[in-house]
Amino acid sequence: MVSRVRTSVATVTELFARRPWTQWIAILAAGTLALSLIGGGSFLGKSVVIGLTQHAPLVLAAMGFALLYRLTGLINVAYSETLTWGAYIGWWFNTSLGWNFYASLLPAGLLAGALSVATYLAIFRPAKQRNMGALEMIIMSFGLSILLRYSFQFVFGYPVRFYDVTTSTTARVLGVGVSSFRLLALASVLILAVALYLFIQKSTYGLQIRALASDEDLAQVSGIRPLFVTSLIWFIAGVAGGLAGAFYGVGSNVAYLLGWRQFLFIFLVVMVGGRKSIGGVIIAGIATGIAWAAMNLRLSQTLYAQLVLIVAFIVILKVRGRRTAETGKV
Amino acid sequence: MNLNWLDAFLITGLFSVFMVIGLALLLHLQMGLARIANFGVVGFWGLGMYVYGVLYVQVDWPFDDPWRFLLSALAGVVAAGISGLLVGWLIADLDEDGVLLGTFGFATIVWILATTETALTKGALGLGGLQFPYRLGNAKQNEALWLLILIVVVALIMLYVWRVHRSPYGRLLVAVGGNEPLAQSLGKPAFRTKLGVFTVGAAGMGLLGVMYGVLERFLETSNLGVDLTLAAVVGLVVGGTARLWGPVVGVALTVGLFDIVIQSYIPLPKSWYGQAIPVLREMVFGAVLIGILLFRPLGILGDMRRDKLMRSMHGE
Repeated sequence: MVSRVRTSVATVTELFARRPWTQWIAILAAGTLALSLIGGGSFLGKSVVIGLTQHAPLVLAAMGFALLYRLTGLINVAYSETLTWGAYIGWWFNTSLGWNFYASLLPAGLLAGALSVATYLAIFRPAKQRNMGALEMIIMSFGLSILLRYSFQFVFGYPVRFYDVTTSTTARVLGVGVSSFRLLALASVLILAVALYLFIQKSTYGLQIRALASDEDLAQVSGIRPLFVTSLIWFIAGVAGGLAGAFYGVGSNVAYLLGWRQFLFIFLVVMVGGRKSIGGVIIAGIATGIAWAAMNLRLSQTLYAQLVLIVAFIVILKVRGRRTAETGKV
Repeated sequence: MNLNWLDAFLITGLFSVFMVIGLALLLHLQMGLARIANFGVVGFWGLGMYVYGVLYVQVDWPFDDPWRFLLSALAGVVAAGISGLLVGWLIADLDEDGVLLGTFGFATIVWILATTETALTKGALGLGGLQFPYRLGNAKQNEALWLLILIVVVALIMLYVWRVHRSPYGRLLVAVGGNEPLAQSLGKPAFRTKLGVFTVGAAGMGLLGVMYGVLERFLETSNLGVDLTLAAVVGLVVGGTARLWGPVVGVALTVGLFDIVIQSYIPLPKSWYGQAIPVLREMVFGAVLIGILLFRPLGILGDMRRDKLMRSMHGE
């Protein structure tokens, strides 16, 4: 009996090590069980519905960030500003030009992608050509983030901005009232996330992107144009960020700190879920959203949920992320 | 003593310049020598400030100043040091990304606790009731003396950093920062060294936080934003991360130029002061950070003196 338990534990540990996303399935299952034990089925349903509708943009933003992080190895703090930029662009088209919210997603995504490519060409590419160290890269992207954030505030003004969307009818999902508008936003986020996933995993460009990430020299020899493909990565990441920002903006409001407030959580999700695969990011993002919503239903203050998430993620990183000895460098 | 030349604005300006110099000097040990990117400077600073403030105001002390102040301040410094030990333990064996996450996450946690624990910290309303641990004639003399004490403290920090530069411990820090596996393979305790420098740095930042709390006499959660970390990082990078005088020169050229020279002595339209100037300040800091790292990554002062010394010794 004991030995059988031991072998099954070993099998599970091996599975976790080989396919990291299975950890998330396990955590998700354990979380679901815990939630239904704490508050019964209705609590579970509420958490899932609120978690998905409110935190769906987190999944999208995390996917974009994970693309940059995994494929270029860069921790781009300024990624948070593509969210803010997308939110502001969408707001501007929506209110100043009177575009429908869904129509304004198009310029929001495209211009956020353009901003992302511009920062790559103007700043990160020259930095890489100068062989800048990883630490300096982070500090520089931090500076870029500050510069962009306050420039947006300068350009778009100080007041908090709101999208002009008519509050639509409320649908009842698992006993929770959700505006049909938010459900549509959730659907678009999920569709975009799946499209992005398929593009990276199945399309020719996706193949080139992954090839370039794993071995730059080999990819170049095989006829891949690194400048074009890397720009493409930055563009897609920017589009994902901009759209996520627009969804965040329409969900509450648009302010210059919009992206920065989410950055820590995007980063946490990517670090924990996305070291190996984009799929892990999606699962980690969804699990985080649901856990976040569940805690907000129970805890007296909304900030406590953030506190628990930060502590939990850092502990996970500490337990799991022990660096292997870099003998190669010596 | 005649203090007419010293207006209240200049005192706060000078105070923030010297405080950021102190923070940048401590950051220089962590980031410049040991290469641990501490993005949570404001967290350690704020923890020291709030632990001091809460103990000073909320505890029913049986004795009065200066003991009441000294014990609260000591508790603030110790709390910041212990948090540095804890955060250092969490991140010392992680890569740059884990370090960024851990330190930045810690700063966010401090902000969250200061905001939510309103029974202790009064949250966003702000915690009043602090005072100087001594009474001189008027408010200005009190503040001027406190500024003087801060300058002495920062000078002591600088003396400590100077001693570190010239000691075996400093060479150990540089070795661990430069190539950790190599230092480890030579039998140097890399993990413990990083932990030590992180703890000492955090305690020092906590002390500077306590001192700021005393000057302001009113603690606000809005102080716990990213601005202070940015100021220390910009000052350090502009001056030169690897040099003793780097933080001093860098902070004087950035925070000093902006908070004292531009705001006090250059005639700008009145309407700019409320919103435009702080925003422009952050924009310039961000741009300067990018420009320096791209075009002069070692800062204004350049490479470590030790390297020059080695070159001259080996006749290169």
